Amino acid sequence: MAQRGKQTTSDRLFRRAMIVLFTLIFAGFGAGAYGLVSVQLINGAEYNAKAKESQLRDTELAARRGTIYDINGAALAQSASASKVYINPNSLDKAVNKAEILDALCGELAPILGITAEKVRRQAGYVKNNYMALQGQVDIGAMEKVNAFRSQELIVQERTDDPDYPDGIKTTKATYKYYVGVQPDIIRFYPLGNLAANVLGFTGAEDIGRAGLELFYNRTLTGTPGRIVSAKNAADADLPIDYESIYDPVPGHSLVLTIDEVVQRYLERALEQAKIDAKAKAAYGIVMDVKTGAVLGMACAPNYDPANYQQIHDKELRARIASIADEEEREKAFNNAMMAQWRNGTLELTYEPGSVFKTITFSAALEEGIVDQDTHFSCGGSIRIANRTMRCHKQGGHGPQVLAEGLMNSCNPFTIWIGQQLGVEKFYKYFEGFGFTEPTGIDLPGEYSPRKGVNIHAQENMGIVELASCSFGQSFEASPIQIITAVSAIANGGRLMRPYIVERELNEDGQVVRQTQPVVRRQVISENTARQIRVMMEGVVVSGTGKNGYVAGAHVAGKTGTSQKLSDPEGGYVASFCAFAPADNPEVALLIAIDDPQGMINGGQIAAPPAAQIMENVLAHKNIEMRYTEKEQEELGGSTPDMSRRPVGEAKSYLEQAGFRVQVIGEGAGVLHQIPEPGQSIAKGGLVILYTDGSESNHTVTVPKLTGMSINQASREAAAAGLNVKLTGNFDSNGLITYRQSIPAGSRVPLGSTVTVHFVSNIGVIDSAEGGDTAGDAVEEAAEPAED
Amino acid sequence: MARDETLEWGAPRRPEKKQPLAQRLFAYGGFDFPFMLIVTVLLCVGLVMMFSASYVNALKHENDAYYYIKRQGIFAVLGLVTMLGLSKVNLNVLRGLAIPAILVAFALLAAVLFYHTNFGEFRRWLPIGSRANPILTLQPSELAKMALILFFAYAMEKFQRPSYALSRDAGLISGRGTRIRRFALRWWSTGLYMAVLLAMVALIYLENHISGMVITLGIGALMIFIGEQRIPLWIYVALVGAGVLVVMTVLKNPSILPEHAAARIESFKDPMSDLQGAGWQTYQSLLAVGSGGWFGQGWGKSIQKHLYLPEPQNDFVFAIVCEELGFVGAFVILLLFIALVWRGFMIALHTKERFGSLLVIGIVLQVGLQTALNIGVVTAVLPNTGIPLPFFSYGGTALLMLMAEMGIVLAVSRVSREIKR
Repeated sequence: MAQRGKQTTSDRLFRRAMIVLFTLIFAGFGAGAYGLVSVQLINGAEYNAKAKESQLRDTELAARRGTIYDINGAALAQSASASKVYINPNSLDKAVNKAEILDALCGELAPILGITAEKVRRQAGYVKNNYMALQGQVDIGAMEKVNAFRSQELIVQERTDDPDYPDGIKTTKATYKYYVGVQPDIIRFYPLGNLAANVLGFTGAEDIGRAGLELFYNRTLTGTPGRIVSAKNAADADLPIDYESIYDPVPGHSLVLTIDEVVQRYLERALEQAKIDAKAKAAYGIVMDVKTGAVLGMACAPNYDPANYQQIHDKELRARIASIADEEEREKAFNNAMMAQWRNGTLELTYEPGSVFKTITFSAALEEGIVDQDTHFSCGGSIRIANRTMRCHKQGGHGPQVLAEGLMNSCNPFTIWIGQQLGVEKFYKYFEGFGFTEPTGIDLPGEYSPRKGVNIHAQENMGIVELASCSFGQSFEASPIQIITAVSAIANGGRLMRPYIVERELNEDGQVVRQTQPVVRRQVISENTARQIRVMMEGVVVSGTGKNGYVAGAHVAGKTGTSQKLSDPEGGYVASFCAFAPADNPEVALLIAIDDPQGMINGGQIAAPPAAQIMENVLAHKNIEMRYTEKEQEELGGSTPDMSRRPVGEAKSYLEQAGFRVQVIGEGAGVLHQIPEPGQSIAKGGLVILYTDGSESNHTVTVPKLTGMSINQASREAAAAGLNVKLTGNFDSNGLITYRQSIPAGSRVPLGSTVTVHFVSNIGVIDSAEGGDTAGDAVEEAAEPAED
Repeated sequence: MARDETLEWGAPRRPEKKQPLAQRLFAYGGFDFPFMLIVTVLLCVGLVMMFSASYVNALKHENDAYYYIKRQGIFAVLGLVTMLGLSKVNLNVLRGLAIPAILVAFALLAAVLFYHTNFGEFRRWLPIGSRANPILTLQPSELAKMALILFFAYAMEKFQRPSYALSRDAGLISGRGTRIRRFALRWWSTGLYMAVLLAMVALIYLENHISGMVITLGIGALMIFIGEQRIPLWIYVALVGAGVLVVMTVLKNPSILPEHAAARIESFKDPMSDLQGAGWQTYQSLLAVGSGGWFGQGWGKSIQKHLYLPEPQNDFVFAIVCEELGFVGAFVILLLFIALVWRGFMIALHTKERFGSLLVIGIVLQVGLQTALNIGVVTAVLPNTGIPLPFFSYGGTALLMLMAEMGIVLAVSRVSREIKR
């Protein structure tokens, strides 16, 4: 304070000036200071939080989704970085030259993104929004073009209320980036196309699994998304200053499947062909390692492309839907077909297992000691249960049979009789034991779960009539995975496994974080019973209804099945064949189910041949040794010795002595090349071409049609064309007809090449009343499943 | 309080002998260095902060980040020169300007009502050049404030003795006039000040310039309070009390006011209730101030200036200061302003000449009032009225004016006893 002594102003002025000074400082500045304390110190955190809400952009960084590999490390599903392109309809709406800009977006940007101009206009119509996505999952190639487009210069003329612009139009130089934005996205690739599509499933928007493994293991695959928190200005643009804090995403784990790409390919190719051959609606197949329950292959035909899951993959079906005139109908049909193709029929299709189930009834009876191998039953064509007559599929009956013959013939009355001997209680014990009352627990979504009173009988509601129909696989429903798991239990010494499809889980560094251990659900039947059934089932393939499932040297055991679909209002049949090999020490089990075949409907007719083909390939791929009988050895012929670099004369006489026909081409003294290649097996009397001049590429022949004829005829045709033929199938039956050749008719191949010709027999493979060489109803008044 | 004043000092006697021209025009002796130091520091800090607050806006709207700082910088340099120049002016020159200044001020205040820029509803800018897009604009109310200070200081010195005594000395009354006449002769100076002040306030009100009106009224009233000591203190206390009562009532029941005014009050009471217009600016200001916390985001690191807070270089520059420098920085700046006011008062109270004394008090009051009101608005303690912060807010002519006033304070400080011990 001023020294009073030196004061020069009047007392009153001094006093009043001081009042003003202190009032100003304490009241005026005090209020300001109070404001600062209140806003900054007391409520600062609250205001700061509110400010951050509008100032910060919290961008989620998608974590890289895990890869799905097959057992050998081939990638089946993989993620890669991509981009999402969006527009700002709000800014666009303010532009004076909106129409012009929109035309550029529709004309130039839309084609790059592969979207329609209508979509651009529709999205641009949401004029209140600053963000409308145009297209997600745009890959790097397309993004280059998108960015080139975005970098084009543009005069922005915006309507504005800003008084700085008296004419209401603000003009700035900019680029299309002003209206078109880009943000990171992730694209999911399926490198092998539609292979194993129904197993893998697909991811929808936001990289979320929607079906199959992608859905079931979505959490594992997704990982933890990261975040970028960055500051933005009020116009929503990033600040030039470094405000970013980044939280790294944790990539998802990868899955290694039990699926083997090679097996899967064999399975899919065969199913596709079988579906076409049988004119069926669909075909389903599972290949399983019987010892562990690991699924080696699982497929549906038709399937779909997971990368374009909203397209109908089946060409025929697509064409049929496109031809529907009524738009509403067409859309409905399209949606139904789309949903149908996503379904994994091996888990979801429910059908009466039919005769395949007889193996279960036989197992139960053997295990319970009710029958043995010497049990006799005479089939007179029908059996009377309570007041109903149930017929055999063979009119007039099979006559007297021992147990093995009963299964081989797929005899209904024999099986019904065995069921009656078992009684409801014991039958149900095995019905439950083999897993027909519960889902198998495979690690895939959507598995069929049986419900008592709806899909299956409850034990307390099962009378002798129901028992009779159940014992040969009718009047209840099961899914393919249930059936193959049950049959695999027989193959696996009575141990029922839990099927699984993920072998191990890998973290981002490729380290194993989880290894699936096979789970034995229970021992259903004894090792001894299982062995007996296996022998009987091999008999089915060697000389019973499953003879078309025969593979030379492989010792395939199997059982055919043909059944009506209960739950489908349109009815129809399911033809199936379930097999495993080798019968004495099974490794691989296989189930083929053909949904709604036209014409031939029996499992032995249409499901067994593709099964044999798959089995042969799978066993070879898995290096399972073929053990041929002498007879088979003879049919197979010899393998061609290596003649290269030998003098022509010596080679010729050696081969002729070994029983081959020889043709020498060229004037050279020594053998340069031979066809077939050394070590290939060809029939006795097969043709070997020896080249001495390297001109083999000049000698080609056209492969003739070798299907639909007797095997002798096919052999003759092949020889006439200068080709070797390798016949595969079960020779131990009558009425053999070739049905498939390994090289399509009409293609040109080197002279002497080997064409593998598969043949089947349509005699004695019928296990149902319809469509075969016998007539009449198998079951009259077959018991319907209980209604409640 | 009717007793006659005992004069301690009066108007300087007219010099007996004519001084040389230079001595009549210029002031001599040293000026108050601390005051000049505070002014310079505030000016520099103000420029730096205004730059930080303005560059985003400048880049966005003018395509040049330095648009505002370049202009403000030029005026700052001009201002410094003006300040130093005016600090040499003899107070007699200023005395001579008092009457012309007030006349010109009133003329301009009246003229602007009829000839003004067409920026919205406001009639406060006098355009130089075309009306729609003027080269330069002049705010007569800014000039008027200075003219008022000058006039009051001049008049309060001249009529410092009670007008009654003056009149008697002049032989206007012969000891016993009528009561009315004696009353008039006793109070005419007080009446004159009030009439001038009210006329000026009324004209500024007509310009639709509420903040200018409040400041002018504040300066005028306080100068009358200090300089015209005939009015007893209790009347002021009663007036202030009544004023506080009115404000409290209005704040409690805004509905007694016309609708648009009531809305303003409501929006002041809860800035978040009305996020359009003025409420939006206040809300964004609060977010900026609040984000500062104790130590701030660091210089240049405000986010609110990135187009959230409208025109952060103008009235709300202090919000950005708070955001970047925090409570500590803002409080130091507040202390600088208090120091300026304090030092100004010390200069005034140690000046021999009443004219200089009141002149400095008027000028310093203007700076102090504007600062206090501005900070009050920024922290939402007061309603948003649009008062710039001296030394900080963008505005070239206003800065030049301010620096000229600081020069006058320095000129007075040359004759202040404080620095001539």
